[in-house]
Amino acid sequence: MTGRPVLALLVLGVLAACNAEKRVTGPTQPQTAPNGAADPRIAIRQSSFEQISQGGRYFAWYGCGRCHAQGAPGIRDLGDQHRRSVRGFDQVYRTIAGHPGISPSYANRIPTDQLWQLTAYVQSLKSLDPGRRRRQDLDQKGEARGETWSGPVR
Amino acid sequence: MNRYALPGVVMLLAGCSGVQSPLNPAGDQALSVRGLLELMTWICGGMYLLVILLLGASLWRARMRPIPEAAPQVEPVDTGLSRGLVAWAALIFAGLTVLIAASFLVDRRLASARDREALVVRVTGHQWWWRLRYRDPATGAWIETANELHLPAGRTARIELGSADVIHSFWVPNVAGKMDVIPGRINRIDVTPRRTGWFRGQCAEFCGTQHAHMAFDVKVDRPADFDDWLASEKRPAAIPADATARRGMAIVTEGPCAACHVVRGTDAKGRAGPDLTHLGSRRSIAAGTLRLSRGALQGWIAQPQAIKPGTLMPAIALEPADADAAARYLEALR
Repeated sequence: MTGRPVLALLVLGVLAACNAEKRVTGPTQPQTAPNGAADPRIAIRQSSFEQISQGGRYFAWYGCGRCHAQGAPGIRDLGDQHRRSVRGFDQVYRTIAGHPGISPSYANRIPTDQLWQLTAYVQSLKSLDPGRRRRQDLDQKGEARGETWSGPVR
Repeated sequence: MNRYALPGVVMLLAGCSGVQSPLNPAGDQALSVRGLLELMTWICGGMYLLVILLLGASLWRARMRPIPEAAPQVEPVDTGLSRGLVAWAALIFAGLTVLIAASFLVDRRLASARDREALVVRVTGHQWWWRLRYRDPATGAWIETANELHLPAGRTARIELGSADVIHSFWVPNVAGKMDVIPGRINRIDVTPRRTGWFRGQCAEFCGTQHAHMAFDVKVDRPADFDDWLASEKRPAAIPADATARRGMAIVTEGPCAACHVVRGTDAKGRAGPDLTHLGSRRSIAAGTLRLSRGALQGWIAQPQAIKPGTLMPAIALEPADADAAARYLEALR
């Protein structure tokens, strides 16, 4: 007879998890860069799997993986869990937007909304299990990659 | 009832002659499929009619028979009924055998198109549009375009299907059957269009929010027209003479559009979105969502999420004058 409350709790738990998959479709609102570490929009983006996985997609599309692939040397490895410096969301955003060595800058090339999603993805990498990240990369194998990509059909 | 009957009939009949209908075949494969459909309709329709007639007859017989007053008794074996049932089973067996044989033969015909590999077209399904690539007959290089498939009449095209993300399905009912597009593998479908004209293709496997807006136009050309079209697709984009359009060119090829789109011959080299080199020559934008016009282009750039909610095209905020210039440039990309 204890089965029923446990089942009810389980169902509630599963339903609560759906929130992280929630996505909003409809007209786009104007977007601005995060205005500090306490910006309330940061939490919304970071808690949404949809936003993070969209960011992962753009990570592939814009060729970020060429230098920042899993296991890249030194500071290029964005998922390196042993790194000491813990940077805030807004700092990571600014780093991507004004990425050194890129011209024209990503701030001019990539729309603000996508920069938010990219940042959410990059932020998620540190706590992402390496096996899962490999799996994610595999799922995106057919997606466009940088400017030299020639299609998934070879 | 009557108010809806006439429009209903008209709509049903319109379905028979449409640009996206298996009942209006314009190619060898579609013709074979329609033949099979007709055979199936006749056989299944005949069997259905027979069932209804026998059911009616038995109801009629039961009503006509007087109700016995005494307690029901075990009836003697009806030899006529037993024979009838055997004949019925034989009829079902024969009908199914004919259908299976016909289906097998049509499948074989679809898989063995003549003139094999005369023209290779690579089609990639994306959420939610189609990337199309043709082999340049002179150099063997690939010529890319999007959302508008051109095919020469009377020549077999081998369409190689790949997916960039999820499972899609390639379906141009007027020209050929249907083939799934599976990530990580290449499926092939041969099509031999015979009649020139415009048709419509559509993704036929649910692939996400905007599955319904993942269509493409299909143009079957005379072979000479097709060669001309391919030659013009091969050319890089021309630099517009008009000053406004030239300003639009700077906006498109140096701004955020260039992150995802290619305009060959300019700095726009993004690979994730549809090729825009000859966008102005296409009929529709956003994978068959809108007819191509300057207004539609402006709307699509400013607020794609309102037109196609969930699309991966981001909204680009431009000043009205800049949006007009960009749309003028894109429209001039012929």
